[in-house]
Amino acid sequence: MTAPTGLGHHASQDDPRIMLDGQIGQYEQVPPYPTRTEREAEFYSLRDGEMFLNMGPQHPSTHGVLRVVLKINGENVVDLDPVLGYLHRGVEKLCENSDYHHVISQIDPLEYVSSLFMEWAPVMSFEQLLDVKVPRRAEYIRVLTGELLRIASHVLFQGWMALDLGGLAPILYSFIERDEIVEMLAALTGQRMLFNYFRIGGVNGDLNHEFMSRLGDWMSRALVQHEANIGLLNENEIFVRRMRDIGRLDGETAKRMGVSGPNIRAAGVPFDVRRAHPYSVYPELEFDIPVRGTGPAGGDSLDRYLLRLDEVRESIRIIDQCLHNMPDGPVMARLPRLMRPRPGRAWAAVESPRGLFGTYVISDGTDQPFRMKIHDPSFVHLQLVGMLMKNNLIADTMAVMASLDPVMGGIDK
Amino acid sequence: MSKSLGQVTTAGKVIIPLLLVILVVGPIATYLLATVAGPVIMDVLNSNLGIVRFVVAITGVLLFSIPAAFIIIYMELKVIAFMNLRIGPDRVGPKGAAHSVIAGLKVLTKEDFSPNAADRTVFTWAPVIVFLTSVMTFLVIPFGPGLVGAKLNIGVLYLFSVGGMSVVGLLLAGWSSFNKYSLLGGLRAAAQVVSYEIPLTLSVVGLILLAGTLSVDQLAANQAGWFTNWYVFRQPLGALIFFIAATAEANRTPFDLTEADSEIVAGFATEYSGMRFGFLFFAEYVNVFIISALMTTFFFGAWNAPFPFPHLTVALDPGSLGILLPIAIAVGPLLVTLALAVPFWLIRTKAPAWQALLGGFALANLLAFGAIGLLTYISWDWVAGLIWFFVKSFMFVFVFVWMRGTFPRVRVDQLMGFAWKWLLPAALLNLFVTALAIIVVKSL
Repeated sequence: MTAPTGLGHHASQDDPRIMLDGQIGQYEQVPPYPTRTEREAEFYSLRDGEMFLNMGPQHPSTHGVLRVVLKINGENVVDLDPVLGYLHRGVEKLCENSDYHHVISQIDPLEYVSSLFMEWAPVMSFEQLLDVKVPRRAEYIRVLTGELLRIASHVLFQGWMALDLGGLAPILYSFIERDEIVEMLAALTGQRMLFNYFRIGGVNGDLNHEFMSRLGDWMSRALVQHEANIGLLNENEIFVRRMRDIGRLDGETAKRMGVSGPNIRAAGVPFDVRRAHPYSVYPELEFDIPVRGTGPAGGDSLDRYLLRLDEVRESIRIIDQCLHNMPDGPVMARLPRLMRPRPGRAWAAVESPRGLFGTYVISDGTDQPFRMKIHDPSFVHLQLVGMLMKNNLIADTMAVMASLDPVMGGIDK
Repeated sequence: MSKSLGQVTTAGKVIIPLLLVILVVGPIATYLLATVAGPVIMDVLNSNLGIVRFVVAITGVLLFSIPAAFIIIYMELKVIAFMNLRIGPDRVGPKGAAHSVIAGLKVLTKEDFSPNAADRTVFTWAPVIVFLTSVMTFLVIPFGPGLVGAKLNIGVLYLFSVGGMSVVGLLLAGWSSFNKYSLLGGLRAAAQVVSYEIPLTLSVVGLILLAGTLSVDQLAANQAGWFTNWYVFRQPLGALIFFIAATAEANRTPFDLTEADSEIVAGFATEYSGMRFGFLFFAEYVNVFIISALMTTFFFGAWNAPFPFPHLTVALDPGSLGILLPIAIAVGPLLVTLALAVPFWLIRTKAPAWQALLGGFALANLLAFGAIGLLTYISWDWVAGLIWFFVKSFMFVFVFVWMRGTFPRVRVDQLMGFAWKWLLPAALLNLFVTALAIIVVKSL
């Protein structure tokens, strides 16, 4: 086997990282810089029979631009190293340089799958700072739209899950469901994805006729459609076998790692921000908190998947109650145009489809937040991948990653 | 004259002499060829009929494989689109029917890229090996009675040995690409195809014991008559094992681990582009047709109709009619048209006569075409065979497409475990029971 002539020159001109030194297979050191930590040195040293497999940032199943360096031995994943920062936009700093109203549109694209929840937490913390009382109708509208978007997010999750395991059809059924919800919300807010709907002290506009008629249409068959869609996958032996006993997470570890949302509930811990730290009008509403994986071994990927489907049913219950109990009244509190809250600190958290999403705001009395820290659940859950994926097969990394349902926008901020 | 010649375009300067050659030299050459060289050529061909048959068969098979792949690709796009509540391709041709042809042309015109560090020779030849091994399998598949490329008496053996060679191509493609995803895909292909080769072959051994022949042609002929003669009713377990193992052999969903897009991007095909990728892509769909054809041939009666149909040769000699023949040709259609126009006239007596005549004419044509079709079906058994073979094969192609639209992918360990823990024992059991049954039946 001889090397093609002029190879080294050409390759090094194109890409300094892929420098071939004479013979084929002689690569530059990975990573190209001296290792910085002990963990890095241990990870980037190969034992016999091992090799690195670079997955991402442009890989179909890393849910965005996550890069995972897998250390594999044949098909077995020996170790892995998630590398972040490919979607970093500095959202926290952007928020600190905009006034309080502007923050809502800055933080909106943080987690593009469920952006209303990204508006909800900062809006709540600003309201605490400003001592604003939100009208009850506005609170009900927030819960109603929020739960709709939670369904949209979980339904999309189901499709992605199937796609990552090689099933082609469910993603399209999922998108039909999601599209109906998103169109409905577009009729209300004017946007399909980044709604920019919540305001400090209420919401941007009252419920309109088109939204209500679309919602009525959808509600009349939502549960039936949901059961039909999940039947396609949940009764599929291949799918269930791929998910069972993969990426087990027990309750104690989950608590220690700061996991929240469906992932901790699927590990047997009934923690839900809506019940644990009630906000908005959730105390008035009746709904259950589905819990799975209560055994000592905790929950696996299948539990996490099924739990999200259970949550869709609960969300439909909540929407039903919201529609029945919706009070009359204004949707916006009376507020000054320019906001200068008292100096102080506020923390508010909501239960987003991925878990506890919170913002910690420090005000210095000006019209911009002095510091704004965003707590994103996806970032916390990404800590788990090293633990859950180790000693699995390459194919299982997809099952585990998809079942944690991360969104890279929120992770990289 | 010279001025007008100067005005002729460059293309014209070539085409006009060419036309002259075609018009003048062509007929003379044809006449000479037919009278002088023709008999000599025919003699040579007649004395070497085996070679002629082989060359014709190879050419036919190569030519057939491309449209077969096009049809299956289009079918897959459309059927999966229907299952996904999408429209699918609808731009090129009626209902997008020419889509896969255009896609094939696109693949031809694309850049033929190969990675810098790839092993060029192996990288170039690997897709050719994959494609040729697929296409070579066609050679012993009987498309109809007598319509078989080579009547090998060890046809089944040939099928499995040539089919097993495709893994060499996949492995070479994966290894030479200088890409870790390709390498993983190639290794997966090697492990998978070699493992499933064993239950695949064993599942047919029971069938061979029953039939007492290794010739695919003979296997097909054995299943003539009513559909109860099909081997699927005598070897149901064998048929099931064959179906599953063949799916894995062709790397189809749910066993498409070699090109699992969510795990290893495109497996062994990751670095391929242009027509090299086209070869790999075509080979995949040719494989789908081959496993469908084999399912049909081995277990579902090959080219036989599910019910015995009168295969007559037309006994009537038209020449014996004498003067009646031209009269029948001249008057027959007229009389039939007039006769068929009567009911149209009876329905609407007020309407102009030409409308009734037109209706009668259309009906007469319809009947004539139907009669010709029926006559063809009855008198030439290979036409009937071809029709039934393709109908049955494409039903299995549909099943494979259906599976692709429905199933997720299995995992590597599950795939191997299934082959060795379930399929292999089941195939052995099937073989054992078949052999025992044959001995018992013979001793009675």
